[in-house]
Amino acid sequence: MTHTKLYTIIYVVLFAFATIQAAVEGFGLVDESYWFAFWLIIVLSVVKAVMVAAYYQHLRWEPRSVSYLAGGGVLVALALTAAAAYSIV
Amino acid sequence: MSDLPPKSSIRRWFLTTNHKDIGILYLVTALFFLVFGGLLAMLFRVELLTPAADFLGESGYNQAVSTHGLLMVFWFISPFAFGFANYIVPLQIGADDLAFPRLNALSYWLYLFSGILFGISFFQGVTFPGGWTMYAPLNTPAYMPGEALGATSVVLAMIMFVAAVTLGSVNFLTTMYRMRAEGLRMRDIPMFSLSINLTVWMMLFAFAALLAALIILSSDHIIGTNYFTYQIDGDTFATNVNNPGSSMLWAHLFWFFGHPEVYIVFFPALGVMAECFQTFTGRRLVGRKWFIISMVLVALQSFIVWMHHMFLTGINLEIKTLFMATTIGISLPFDLMVFSLIYTMIKGRVRYMTPFLFSLGALLLFILGGITGVFLGAVVLDYQFRGTYWVVAHFHYVMVAGATALFGGLYYWYPKMTGKMYNEFLGKVHFAVYFIGFNLLYFPMFIAWETPRRVFNYPVELTVWHNLSTVGAIILGGSFLIMFYNLFVSYFRGAEVGDQPWEFATSAEWAVASPPPLENFDGVPSYASGTLEFLSPSDVAKRQSGHSGAAADGGTAETSPATDGAGAEAGALATTETALATGAGTAEPTGHEHASHASFWPFMISLGGFLLFLGLSGIRTGSMLYTSLALVGGILGFGSLVGMAQEPFFAPETAIAERWPFADVEKMKLGMWTFLASDIVLFGAFIGSYAFIRFAYGWEAWHHDLIPEAHVTFPGLVNTYLLLTSSFAVVLAMVAAEKESRAGVMASLGATFALGVGFLINKGIEWQHLFHIHTEAFPEGWAITTNLASSTFYLTTGLHAAHVIIGLIIAGYMFFRSWNGAYLGDEKPIEYFGLYWHLVDIVWLFLFPLFYIL
Ligand code: HEM
Ligand SMILES: [Cu+2]
Repeated sequence: MTHTKLYTIIYVVLFAFATIQAAVEGFGLVDESYWFAFWLIIVLSVVKAVMVAAYYQHLRWEPRSVSYLAGGGVLVALALTAAAAYSIV
Repeated sequence: MSDLPPKSSIRRWFLTTNHKDIGILYLVTALFFLVFGGLLAMLFRVELLTPAADFLGESGYNQAVSTHGLLMVFWFISPFAFGFANYIVPLQIGADDLAFPRLNALSYWLYLFSGILFGISFFQGVTFPGGWTMYAPLNTPAYMPGEALGATSVVLAMIMFVAAVTLGSVNFLTTMYRMRAEGLRMRDIPMFSLSINLTVWMMLFAFAALLAALIILSSDHIIGTNYFTYQIDGDTFATNVNNPGSSMLWAHLFWFFGHPEVYIVFFPALGVMAECFQTFTGRRLVGRKWFIISMVLVALQSFIVWMHHMFLTGINLEIKTLFMATTIGISLPFDLMVFSLIYTMIKGRVRYMTPFLFSLGALLLFILGGITGVFLGAVVLDYQFRGTYWVVAHFHYVMVAGATALFGGLYYWYPKMTGKMYNEFLGKVHFAVYFIGFNLLYFPMFIAWETPRRVFNYPVELTVWHNLSTVGAIILGGSFLIMFYNLFVSYFRGAEVGDQPWEFATSAEWAVASPPPLENFDGVPSYASGTLEFLSPSDVAKRQSGHSGAAADGGTAETSPATDGAGAEAGALATTETALATGAGTAEPTGHEHASHASFWPFMISLGGFLLFLGLSGIRTGSMLYTSLALVGGILGFGSLVGMAQEPFFAPETAIAERWPFADVEKMKLGMWTFLASDIVLFGAFIGSYAFIRFAYGWEAWHHDLIPEAHVTFPGLVNTYLLLTSSFAVVLAMVAAEKESRAGVMASLGATFALGVGFLINKGIEWQHLFHIHTEAFPEGWAITTNLASSTFYLTTGLHAAHVIIGLIIAGYMFFRSWNGAYLGDEKPIEYFGLYWHLVDIVWLFLFPLFYIL
């Protein structure tokens, strides 16, 4: 038996996090203090993404170089977005 | 799979998947585009004899200049370099072909057909007139004369070209990390292969950003999104700009690609120079290690200098200063490389043969071009130089220096490719005429630097310099007649050469016959003993039993599942994804049969893609012709993809090979991950574009001004649940396949499919609703063209939906195969599909909050 149980737990966590994100909006937090809600929601998304990548795409069990490859793509996209936005501050 | 006909048969060239054949095809095609782009240049050089548009006319001049730039940068120089890369890299690293031979053929045919599409644009009234940098908003239909169908064709041709590049990058990286001869460490591979390795790394990431830019631009052209529209409801943009980020968005996306691109162009040339300097001085490159470190540094740094192309835009002074520093910084490693080449020459004994002359010439030209680039990197100087002929002179000195080295490469490898020696005297004459013509053409541009670029007007007193340039252009162009004559005649009458025509060449391509046999090497190449040897099958078997596991996991055939390119922009992408996605669909994991070398499908897929794109270029006119072209092309492309998926094609993994740092990642998985890395950049650039224009607009005002009340969180949340669950189902399918439960595999794949379909239906309902709302703020509904928020919302989630559709087609295909008992005990294809599907899921995890909550 492979990691079925682990996969299930992760699924439940992902499901719950998505619900929390929607709830943050439902309870008016986005209107009340936008930037707090913003970062809360983004962090939840990042955690979810990392979980999917680490376990469902089993990067955890691959050689580190594969994670660097994917991470390189993320880094490139972030550099572009951050620097472009900063350039017009 | 068909058999491969002999080289004398025309059929061979349509069927071949062999890297050497494809290398030749690239070289010949690229030279064709050199002539095409060169003739355009001749036209506008004649125009520039006088400072007025009295020959081509105003629009004609703009078209000639723009298409010249695009053709030379995209359709000539890199494909020319990749002709050599295709031919030489497998030989140099000891591989018998590229990792995915059919994808390699597909790359070529997509490239060729993208060029044909480009050519057709000339006959659609007006072709692309807006400069090779394709600046938007200038290059959106609203600001272009006429129907602008030709311009749309060019944008689509670029998309097709990028698809070819992406496939090629994935292929080369997988090859170089999975198929190096035993004992050949990355740092020891010959300089040319090393330069190609770094080039494809840059390509993988840079072209993905360009792809995002192009998809957005074509969507502004074809479906009317407003990314690049200054003022959406028709006021003049002088008084009321409601998309302040529009022009800057293009500049960032394009130059983020554009600066790496200039090194993508130059690195292969640097590799050729290093090879030729070593061979013709009889000396190993001085400071080889530092040369390599410099190249790696430059490749990394190339991604953080792009704003030196934007010093005259509204970016702030802090960031200008920062990018001035990174730009000056990037010239330092280049200095080191230049010195290394010079020292190699001093320490060795130079033999002035044609390939060396071209390499040396390239070095001299590059020095001048590089130094003038540093001038441009200084903010204050650039305020003067921006938009003048100084820039034109600079980049021709560097880019065409690169081309110069590549022509040296053509002479250098000509004997290897043909088995014949070219005429040395004519080679030298070519170089002399070329070098004189080059300097006569480009040097006066430094003197006449005050000429504004891309304009047919210039101060009258500069006429003499422009006339000198035109004379130089004729000489430079004419020099190629000598080359073509030489190479053509030598092919029939040249002296026969052996394996090794150059006394001091040491890389592995010189250890085999000229031209090399179909499968390159007699035995399996190995450097384990310190020098190159060829192992017999029994040696290999011995080594394999010595190795444990990974290296010997036998062959997996390259196959690809069926999918479609129906979604407009996703068309070009689909091919990549599908071809890689489910891996061993029809794999025969034995090691006994012979590798395959022929397939007709790459040609057919590209033909279909070409017709589809040609149709799309004019679909906004509603014309029957264009619509039916798109339809026929779509069906042909889709059918051919299915055909390719069904075709048994055998491309075994090398039995023993050096695979650092991807030793335990078999080739299909590595190919998939490499592709996903570029897809991450594509989506990243899309999300980044959204963030950028929202930021420019006013982040928080956006939601209030532009988004209707009816756009609520709930449909997004439901879709998040659906996708998460479908991801989970794929994981379960993999587990079931491991446990050899057919029912389990079918149920899980079926669930994946159903959930994905549910996702699309839910999205469809949501979109329908939003299209047709009637509120005070949005009396006409919230459609694609309504405003910035709707444009970004529909296009970004639409691109994602296209990915879902592609995934569903693959999932459906796999479901049917599992019906027949596929995948039991062999879960790999499900695993690879899962990698793709989970990425689609991950992307949604960000789209959901960004487009539904925040
Ligand atoms: C040695 C270091 C280099 C430096 C510091 C440098 C710097 C620059 C700068 C600052 C610009 C912008 C000028 C402007 O538009 O005002 C520029 C333009 C350009 N450079 Fe370089 N460059 C270098 C090498 C290269 C190389 C190796 C290539 C290509 C092989 C290249 C190709 C180009 C091109 C094509 C443009 C013009 C882009 C356009 O159409 O606007 N440069 N360079
Ligand atoms: Cu640059």
